[in-house]
Amino acid sequence: MEVVSQEIPLEHFVMLSMVLFSIGVYGVLARRNAVLILMSVELMLNAVSINLVAFAVYTAPSLFVGIIFAIFVITIAAAEVGLALAVVLRVFRNRGTSNVDEVNALKW
Amino acid sequence: MWALPALPAAGFVFLLLTSQFLPRKGDYVAIGLMLAAFVLVLITGKNVADAIGDRSLSLADCFNVGGCPLAGSERSWDWFSVPGYIDIRIGTYVDQITLVMLFCVTFVGLMVMIYSTGYLRGDRRYGWFYAIVSLFIASMLTLVIADNLLLLYGAWELVGLCSMLLIGYYNDRQSAAEAAKKAFVTTRVGDVGLLIGIIILFVQTHTFNIQQILAMAEAGEIPREWLTASAVLIFAGACGKSAQFPLHVWLPDAMEGPTPVSALIHAATMVVAGVYLVARMLPLMEVVRGMPELITGIGLATTILAALIGLAQRDIKRVVAYSTLNSLGLMMVALGSGAVGAAMLYLFAHAFFKALLFLSAGSVIHATEEQDVDRLGGLWSKLPITGPVFVVGALAMAGLIPLSGYWAKDEILVGLRHGHLTPIVLAATVISLPITALYMARVVMLTFFGAPKDAHVFEHAHESPPSMTLPTVLLAVLAIVSGFVVFEGVGEALGFHSGWMGFVYNLAEGPEEFSVDWTLSLLSVVLVGLGLAGGYWIWHGDAAPARRAAAFSPAGYRLLLNRFYIDEAYQWAIDHVVLAAGQVVAVFDRAIVNDTGVQGTGETTSFFGWLGKYSQTGRLPNYALAIVVGIAVIVIVAFGYRG
Repeated sequence: MEVVSQEIPLEHFVMLSMVLFSIGVYGVLARRNAVLILMSVELMLNAVSINLVAFAVYTAPSLFVGIIFAIFVITIAAAEVGLALAVVLRVFRNRGTSNVDEVNALKW
Repeated sequence: MWALPALPAAGFVFLLLTSQFLPRKGDYVAIGLMLAAFVLVLITGKNVADAIGDRSLSLADCFNVGGCPLAGSERSWDWFSVPGYIDIRIGTYVDQITLVMLFCVTFVGLMVMIYSTGYLRGDRRYGWFYAIVSLFIASMLTLVIADNLLLLYGAWELVGLCSMLLIGYYNDRQSAAEAAKKAFVTTRVGDVGLLIGIIILFVQTHTFNIQQILAMAEAGEIPREWLTASAVLIFAGACGKSAQFPLHVWLPDAMEGPTPVSALIHAATMVVAGVYLVARMLPLMEVVRGMPELITGIGLATTILAALIGLAQRDIKRVVAYSTLNSLGLMMVALGSGAVGAAMLYLFAHAFFKALLFLSAGSVIHATEEQDVDRLGGLWSKLPITGPVFVVGALAMAGLIPLSGYWAKDEILVGLRHGHLTPIVLAATVISLPITALYMARVVMLTFFGAPKDAHVFEHAHESPPSMTLPTVLLAVLAIVSGFVVFEGVGEALGFHSGWMGFVYNLAEGPEEFSVDWTLSLLSVVLVGLGLAGGYWIWHGDAAPARRAAAFSPAGYRLLLNRFYIDEAYQWAIDHVVLAAGQVVAVFDRAIVNDTGVQGTGETTSFFGWLGKYSQTGRLPNYALAIVVGIAVIVIVAFGYRG
């Protein structure tokens, strides 16, 4: 742990996380394919996880709170993706498309 | 003392729950408890009279103004309290005025209950009647023995409620329901005044205890303007209950109730509650400048108005009702001039002869099923008991010597003469005497003498059963003799130390001996005699002079027959003022409160909901954009706020 901190400063991890998160946000907003949107959401989640781990290691190395939290995020993200993909699959089976612009029945 | 109202109250609860399962609807329970209460009154009366007599008021003290309060016995205990702010004690206060009231209420109540076993036999709501009469008597007794205004007010309202329930006893009759409503609403006008007056007194003195309030008022510890306001308002309450001039309209209509109720409530007991209240609060009233004059003026107006109206009424019960107004006015006149003893003596005598008049009038109605004196007549031979007792009652009301009404009325005249008011009051009161005699003679002549005006009614007339005639005979005896308590010897024999006038203390004069003012006595005897003779002359035979008088001034006759159009004036006022104001309120309620306030709130919400629903596009990217923009805004604001 000590080794890492000396070679790469914390700012780099934060930068990485920020870039990843921004790419995720762009993907969510710009993509129309439901699967790609899901993947973008995964990017955002990973960015958050990187943040958590990095801050845990750099600020309180003796505590594993941030790292454990990251594991939880990964677990729940896996479950979420499973559920979301199932939903997308059903939508595709029913409507023949996974384009979110065409799936707009849930409105006024 | 608490056993006293508790007895009839127990009767009320018991009868309300069980009367329909008992033989005779349980009337004997009510009568038995009433009898017990009456005996209890006699016992406590003896004890209290002894206690008061032993205190041996010295005459010298009493000639100093306010130096000789009514001696009473007082007991109280905690009712409820807000620590650090107020302690309210509940208790009883018994003095001479109370005793007089207790005796009248329980005795007349007993007579009326016995009478009703005959009058209302087999009636649909027989058990209900006894329950409510029991409740009425319980609340009346509470009202009389209460030592604080809060309890008094509660009992006061209960009495009003019972009155309304009993007036509306024949609840399948529209007119009875109307009359009950009228009585309730009219007395309520006064009651609101009473309540405000009590609250003012409480705020100023921090106590409800009557004796403490009176002491503070006499010591001048209550600011003058508040004292005046509360005195006027409390008198307004008394006016409503005692049917004094502006609020008198409900009493004649209250005759829609069964006749025993009229006798009990609207003659002997409830209507004198107002007189009792004024007598009780008189030390406070007398401190206020102009208040005695106001009381006297209202009383005088009521007396003369009622006497004139009584001349032309055709319903036998209404005539008696107007004579009640007449008497109540007279009592107020006496109170206004400070003659408490005379007023209470009149109240005492009045309870008997007025209950007698009502009960025997009820007996006439029972016998003939007819109330219109123009259709009665010649019943003297048909009703050998009812006839004479009614005549006794009428003569006592007219004030013929030596019946009770004479002594009481004479005492009032003496009190007026010695009082501090102008002689005009005395003159006006004296003028009302022959009118009273005149209309009492009229109702007797038209009912019992002359030719029967309706052969069918006459044929079917029959004397009432003993359960109805017995109470009337008892009351007739009392109507004859109850006036004699003014004599010192008689008073002492009954256990009143130093006679009635010494017993019921006369504020203006000190505990005076019964004095005969020969000029006044002679004058009143002559005037009453003239009135009676005039009544005989006018209405004997086929009542030709009466018709000539009516023909001579048809407008005047109509004015009297229609009770000076006071009811019509009120009706007009209600239609054009109250209802018009009600229209404004109704429009306000509909337009502002309902349409704008209630409906408007809902519709505004609904409109914004309708607008807002278009934000739900159903398109995922829109939502995602909204989330991102929202978070961005929050972050910018949060960081901007932190600087």
